[in-house]
Amino acid sequence: MLVSSDSISIAGSVRIKGGYLGKILHIDLMAGNSYVEKYDEDFALKYIGGRGFGAKIVMDNLKDGVKPLDPENIIVIAPGILSGLYVPSSGKTAFVSISPLTGIYADSNMGGMFGVEIRQAGYDALVIHGRAKEFSYIWIDDDVVEIRDASKYKGMKSTETERELKDDLCDEAIKIATIGIAGENLVKFACVNSEWSRNAGRTGMGAIFGSKNIKAIAVRGTKDLPVYDMDKLVELSDKAYKSLHDHPMMKIWQEEGLMSVLDYANTLGIIPTHNFSDAHFEDADKINGEVMTSRHKIGDSACYSCPMACGNICLVKSGKYAGTVTEGPEYESAAMLGSNVGINDFSAVLRGNYLCDELGIDTITSGSMVATLIEGYERGLLTLEDVDGIALSWGDDSSIMLLLEKIANRDGIGDVLAEGPYGVIKKFPQLAPIISHVKGMDQSAYDGRVGVTMALAYATSDIGAHHTRAWTIAKELEVGADWTLEEKIDLVIYHQTVRPLFDMLGVCRLPWIELGFDENTYADFYAAATGVEFTLDDLLERSKTLYDLTRAINLRLGVTRADDYPPERTFNDPIKTGPHAGEHMDRDFYEHMLDVYYERRGWDKEGRPSEEQLRECEVL
Amino acid sequence: MDQDKDREQVSISQTLALTIVPERCSGCRTCEIVCAIHNNKVNNPKKARIRVLSLYPHPVIKMPIVCKQCKDPKCMESCPTDAIYIENGIVKINNSECMGCHACVVSCPFGAIYVHADLDEPIKCELCGGDPQCVKACPKNAIIYVPEHTLGQANRLIDTLKYAHLKEMEYFEHGVKKKLSYAQIETGGLRKDKTKAEQKEGDAGEQ
Repeated sequence: MLVSSDSISIAGSVRIKGGYLGKILHIDLMAGNSYVEKYDEDFALKYIGGRGFGAKIVMDNLKDGVKPLDPENIIVIAPGILSGLYVPSSGKTAFVSISPLTGIYADSNMGGMFGVEIRQAGYDALVIHGRAKEFSYIWIDDDVVEIRDASKYKGMKSTETERELKDDLCDEAIKIATIGIAGENLVKFACVNSEWSRNAGRTGMGAIFGSKNIKAIAVRGTKDLPVYDMDKLVELSDKAYKSLHDHPMMKIWQEEGLMSVLDYANTLGIIPTHNFSDAHFEDADKINGEVMTSRHKIGDSACYSCPMACGNICLVKSGKYAGTVTEGPEYESAAMLGSNVGINDFSAVLRGNYLCDELGIDTITSGSMVATLIEGYERGLLTLEDVDGIALSWGDDSSIMLLLEKIANRDGIGDVLAEGPYGVIKKFPQLAPIISHVKGMDQSAYDGRVGVTMALAYATSDIGAHHTRAWTIAKELEVGADWTLEEKIDLVIYHQTVRPLFDMLGVCRLPWIELGFDENTYADFYAAATGVEFTLDDLLERSKTLYDLTRAINLRLGVTRADDYPPERTFNDPIKTGPHAGEHMDRDFYEHMLDVYYERRGWDKEGRPSEEQLRECEVL
Repeated sequence: MDQDKDREQVSISQTLALTIVPERCSGCRTCEIVCAIHNNKVNNPKKARIRVLSLYPHPVIKMPIVCKQCKDPKCMESCPTDAIYIENGIVKINNSECMGCHACVVSCPFGAIYVHADLDEPIKCELCGGDPQCVKACPKNAIIYVPEHTLGQANRLIDTLKYAHLKEMEYFEHGVKKKLSYAQIETGGLRKDKTKAEQKEGDAGEQ
């Protein structure tokens, strides 16, 4: 069944026959109005959608001298072109802006169903400009867009805001993205929370909301999503769901989700422990997936049309945190708020995860900031006075929970931590060697000293040390031990090319990376949805251009080769225990690797894309 | 031959029931989208006949809500134009009789009839002609299509297990009377912690 062409609203479209809605909604908070921009086919086919649209819009808006929290900075919320369609795990949305945490290009990815609702309201992306005069929230009801007073919701926690908004707007089915008090207080790693526990966690998108005086965006969308060839899409998806369903690992994913990674990471010796000083945690069996499923899990949770259901809803049944209900933790949160701060009690991990979600701060950066403070205090780099008189020690959950609240409220030492790695280093320069960050963003929960690709992946990631840009460590350790350096570097580049594609299409990477789902199928999905017969290589070419584009944004914002280095610890501090004890990276070797990486990307020695590449991404 | 076939179809639709196990539901809404594509030929979960309602955090539940094909339906009772009728056990809406007043929508005690602005008639599950697509699509097996007489079996089983687990059995060991409940037994042996507790009880008995 093919759709009629009048449901496609891209002006003058010849090749696109579905999938795209053709509209970008701009909301100008300063003027208090909104308008719809209709984009053309060239734009759509060049940047595909999602993160691609976001990066291009952010680039076009870039002005010198504008700071991330200034009203002139914009935030783009862009679900992908497959978001909302009958495609496995198609619930992803990209939040794109210039990060207050790093000061450079940033995007953060949210699961759940918020993006699907935006698409159903008829928009491929939202762009938010300016700053509201009064504390407000945005209400998008299909074609009606309103900026409404949110003074009632000021100071509310994330889930509380969502609950109240649903009551006030009289619809349980609307989708809401909100910030907690951390976002209001402009904590630089504040997150945006949706559907209670789905977060655009990293790079401080919550602070951007806060800087725009926006508490939440509520959306109700009821429109059909155009599909070029529905029969083909159904055929492809039926097959895809079946192949995922029949995968031997599927059951474990549904049961434990990403928590199944924790034991794996500990056995491999790549789990962050005591502020990344070690990569093996003795008490890992007290915070692993088995503890979660046997003692805490009370329900499953999935993003839109996802059979994997990797989310776990957990309850603390007894002890001082009894009654805490939270969705999660997944591996990153469990490691950063568990082993990395020395907590060996899963109830406390759950409490930490709950606080981060409710207050609206990123679990990864929070875990790293708190751990840095504990290590600094333990090693005598900080005095008791520096840390507000809290006698910090590894695994002391009460003081850790207190620190999380202090961060969100910007209270005392929390005010320093809330500024992120750069802010902490400015205040306490002696902590610089023990903060594991790249370009101002804390490293995720995989040690960069094991193998070489993960360190390179962190260092060359366009948003800072984040694992979703290239998660190569497993493949390198499992099959790539004998590979040449070039092969390893190509693996990093391949990941950095495939993964943006998922964000451009608005689908999740997990079926591909964890259940071996063939990435070629996504080109078929794209063709069925839009009628544009792109091969996977065509799409990858565009995501490679996207990487050049984000690089160009970063270069303009002052990034140089000197920023493409892994955290200091990677070079100076060998791993203490576990299977990789004694390992660290040699600086000269890394210099060489970076040279080869630039070369294979077609960039010069300083990491600048070639003229041809810049012309391709319309920067020149 | 044909008559036999008809009879078979009638018996299937009369005895199978669509039922939900909310504890299994992950809230992924694959059922919604499959339903809308199958029945309306559009990619729009807001036109589905089954919808998942998620509540959080107190209590946590994800509930797919769909027509139960009641034997004496409230929707049928409330319809002013008698547009709702029962055919082979399936409650159906005659669209040519329907005036779009939505009396059925508000009268359904389960809220299992839906409305969409694009459509004049209410949206209601008619079991996809005896082959519900949502059942096949659900990745967690939370929507099941079973013979009517098995409804309630899960609760019967849970209740029986609860009773059995608490049931105590008396026995003698070295002349001492002891008690054991099924709840203390795990496959392959006694639970360690319970055994210890029992040991203490036994010691006390000897003193």
